[in-house]
Amino acid sequence: MILLRLISWPYFRKHLLRTALTTAGIVIGVALFVAVRVANNSVVSGFSGTVDRIAGKTELQITAGETGFGEEILEQVQAASSVRVAVPVIEAVVDSNIKGQGSVLVMGIDMTGDRSLRDYDLEDSKDDVIDDPLIFLAQADSLIVSKEFADRNHIAVGTRLPLGTAEGTKTFKVRGIVKTSGLASAFGGNIAIMDIYAAQKMFGRGRTFDRIDLARKPGVAIADCEKQLGALLGPGFHVQAPSSRGGQFETMIASYSLMVSLSSAFALFIGMFIIYNSFSTAVAQRRSEIGILRALGATRGQIRALFLGESAVIGVIGSIIGLVLGLLIARAIAASIGALIADVYGVAQQAYELATSPSILALSLVVGIATSVAAALIPASSAADVDPVRAIQKGSYQLLSAGEHRLRVGLACVLCLISAACLTLSTSRSVFYAGYLSLVLAALLVVPLLCVALARALRPLLRRILAVEGTLAADSLIRAPRRTSATVAALMLSLALVVAFAGMAQASYSSIVDWMNVSLNSDLFVLPSQNLVTQTTRFPVAMAQELAAVNGVDRIQMVRSGRITFKDTPVMLVALELASIQQTVDLRPISGSKEEMYRKSIAGEGLLVSDNLAELHRLKLGDIVDLDAPYGQVHLPIVGVVVDQSDQQGTIIVDRSVFIRYWHDDAVNIFRLYLKPDAVHADVRQRIFDRFEGKRRVFVLTNRELKQYILKIADRWFGLVYLQIAVAVLVAILGIFNALTVSITDRRRELGVLRAVGGLHSQIRGTIWLEALSVAAIGLVVGGVLGAANLYYVLEIVRRDISGLRLDYHFPISTMAALVPIILATAFLAALWPAEATVRGSLVEALEYE
Amino acid sequence: MNRTKQHLIFAAIACALASARLGNSRLYAADSARQIIDEAQNRATSKSERYEGLLETIGEGGERAEKRWSFERLGSHGQSKVVIAFKAPAEVKGVALLIVNHPDRASDQWMWTPNIERDRRIAMQDRSTRFFGTDFSFEDLEERDVDQFDYELLGEQKIENALCWKIQSVPKQAKSSQYTKSIVYVRKDNYAFARIESFVKDLAVRRLNYSSITNIQGIWTAKSLSMTDVRRGSLTRLTLEKVEYNVPLSEDRFTVQSLRDR
Repeated sequence: MILLRLISWPYFRKHLLRTALTTAGIVIGVALFVAVRVANNSVVSGFSGTVDRIAGKTELQITAGETGFGEEILEQVQAASSVRVAVPVIEAVVDSNIKGQGSVLVMGIDMTGDRSLRDYDLEDSKDDVIDDPLIFLAQADSLIVSKEFADRNHIAVGTRLPLGTAEGTKTFKVRGIVKTSGLASAFGGNIAIMDIYAAQKMFGRGRTFDRIDLARKPGVAIADCEKQLGALLGPGFHVQAPSSRGGQFETMIASYSLMVSLSSAFALFIGMFIIYNSFSTAVAQRRSEIGILRALGATRGQIRALFLGESAVIGVIGSIIGLVLGLLIARAIAASIGALIADVYGVAQQAYELATSPSILALSLVVGIATSVAAALIPASSAADVDPVRAIQKGSYQLLSAGEHRLRVGLACVLCLISAACLTLSTSRSVFYAGYLSLVLAALLVVPLLCVALARALRPLLRRILAVEGTLAADSLIRAPRRTSATVAALMLSLALVVAFAGMAQASYSSIVDWMNVSLNSDLFVLPSQNLVTQTTRFPVAMAQELAAVNGVDRIQMVRSGRITFKDTPVMLVALELASIQQTVDLRPISGSKEEMYRKSIAGEGLLVSDNLAELHRLKLGDIVDLDAPYGQVHLPIVGVVVDQSDQQGTIIVDRSVFIRYWHDDAVNIFRLYLKPDAVHADVRQRIFDRFEGKRRVFVLTNRELKQYILKIADRWFGLVYLQIAVAVLVAILGIFNALTVSITDRRRELGVLRAVGGLHSQIRGTIWLEALSVAAIGLVVGGVLGAANLYYVLEIVRRDISGLRLDYHFPISTMAALVPIILATAFLAALWPAEATVRGSLVEALEYE
Repeated sequence: MNRTKQHLIFAAIACALASARLGNSRLYAADSARQIIDEAQNRATSKSERYEGLLETIGEGGERAEKRWSFERLGSHGQSKVVIAFKAPAEVKGVALLIVNHPDRASDQWMWTPNIERDRRIAMQDRSTRFFGTDFSFEDLEERDVDQFDYELLGEQKIENALCWKIQSVPKQAKSSQYTKSIVYVRKDNYAFARIESFVKDLAVRRLNYSSITNIQGIWTAKSLSMTDVRRGSLTRLTLEKVEYNVPLSEDRFTVQSLRDR
């Protein structure tokens, strides 16, 4: 503590800017770590909270995936001996049509029995939920809203409220208001209740329910009730506690959560290099000081502890600031994540309050401090090993000895070999990641050597640009590889991350576009809602005839989709009219014969799986797939593996006849329309609107609009990636600024001498600017090279662990090209102030600087 | 045998006889209560029934609401079918209910809603639920099967100037009911029900008064029924008009399909 006060504090006070920049590295890393974790947890806990509040006293819930099931199941469940009460539920998220209010969760329930399971705490404390339950049931436009929603929007009993339904925007009459507690506080208070049979009509559910909520008879164990119902209903139904649905939601968004976690970890990793850079520089600068301390009797342990203590203090301060900053931005990120999940997964769930558990906050602090201390370990050890005599010899430390040179090269070669071996000789996940780490370590080891080599390569160019200044700049880099390499390493890692993510994004876009061009080739798409993936409303099959009758329409294809559970993972099931698809879509299987694929799947003798599903679950052509459906078990072989981007967890495609047979559901999610050659798209679209105006709510997208919509979702998905890229660039900028500041300080006397012998201000500036640009250029080169390798690994991680998608390798030349001027310009800007400080500083002080 | 001993023996025999008579009188009272209920039910039995009903609900704050329905019943106690078709107000016109009563279990009920063109089965797992906002519960509308209760004659009481037997009715073990017991008042002059008070434990929760008792086709009929929810302080009044018994009603009129045509 004494050393911290007497030695460290004056140093930090003298170099406030550098200290602030060093701390900023941890601040950014911790802020991003906290923000994305809190935001992600908030959305997940928001979903679980909604489920729990809606569940009330429900002990078990029966579902059959997103497809729902027929009404007749309810009677079977009610008749079960272990069931006390069982009530059906439909849930639909609709646009409130009120500015600023967003979506409303509409629950369709059977009011005659639901009160056994849920508390409806009426606004004016009557026992009844509403004045006249008979009128409520008799009128399909009856609605109950929560008090919170009512107060926000000045709604009272009797108010008319427009909501989007399958039949267009309908006006509902509020016939009751429930207090904001339990059920009414779910979904942020944006909840409305209506009669379930009215809800079936309003949301195009036919005669199906989404789920059944039930409570068991007293004296019956939940496990026994679950077992009885499981046996009664068969494997196509899931009987589970409400809390399990929160877990399913987490599984569904698992790949996104993984990416979020990786992103936050990367942010910290890069922040670590800022610390490493700063401390390495500090050790180099304070060698004399350290030598004196050692000469006065300070032990190696004390020196090491001094620097680790400094890093710990920086870690504490940076972590606390990062924590606060992270919480501030978490809400904005949570809103973005919520919107993304709605767009990608069709689950409208917002984070209504931030889930800031003490454990997340404590973890963030610990991680921030640990990162800071870990980053300072090597410099601290290096400081402890300083020879008191050599410490006085300025500049000699910055050089790499021949022995160290050989050691670095040797180690790097060994690590490269290990990396190659891990990649080629094993498919184990841990071996793969070990190989990845080995490659990164190898790159870090050779950075100082590359700095020298590239500086030497740049010297002629720099001389050509500005003879004296260029030479000085190049020589400064060649003479001080240690000082330069830490900055270059941070820049290298940042750029490698940027290249990898940009390459992954480009590959993903390319893959999506290719898939869309093949599979989504109809002229128009008719949807029941604006959200492509939402399952809230569906079309009746009878609508196909009406659409076929529209002038200009040549062919109609019906698409039905919904998530089901396959091997404990939610995957997308898509039912297509494969005979028609065969004639219109050039869908070629990755494996299997195209003709055989269509023949068998059309006949209901097989199914298709997406390439990513096959990859994630190790499936191949001919494997039997078992799917639990409400009306039987689908037991079919894979007759084709195709490229499909419908869902990150994978897609199973069956013929529509198979779906109807096993799900007893002929509703339609999307109509694909092919138009006659001479039809004008806009005219046909208008005819469709005219035909269904007032009868049914339809959204008609052209092929181009649909593709733009999907790419917009992809943009949202990669929004976090772009955020990471921005963070990486910011961290790189910090690193450059930090290194330049250190470099100027280190060379203060040298630059003072230059001025004393007649160096012009412009020449001083020039040498500093060129040095900054050279550091940036070296960083770009090594970053690009590592990035190329990193991209390969990231694509493999996507294939193996995230979504199973095989993405093509394309080095993101455009991104790299955009980064070159950005990084160079940033380096130049970062050098402006240090250069000015140098030329305007006192010459006498500079000459006296020691 | 001396005289004292004789007196003692006679006294013992007299006591024994008196005890037996008392025990028999309890049995006789229970038998009487059951017989009274049986007789009341028999006198009210008809093959079918039809009436026009006016249902008024008066809330605890005095707010009123009225509905009109037509009522048809086919079959007698415990095995009857009932159709209630709402005629007014406009919001409920066309809504119809089919209730199929069973002697050994809860009734089955279906509802037709013209606004959404759907029939639905009403899952009556909670028969204590109020019948669509009235003070009757769904259980109150079911027919009572005399075999599912134990009866005890408690005495006599005047209800609206009519002397009535006061009978306690307790559901048997096998019968699930929201009520712990009911006190039934049966008029001595014509065996018509005058009042039923329903209890949960010792607390009176509902009181059903029968009034305007009129002889219609030989059956003493209460043309006005008032159900009071004692806890809420609210009242529902059902007025029967155009009551007819033993009208020819087809079985076809008591199906789920037929509800659509009401």
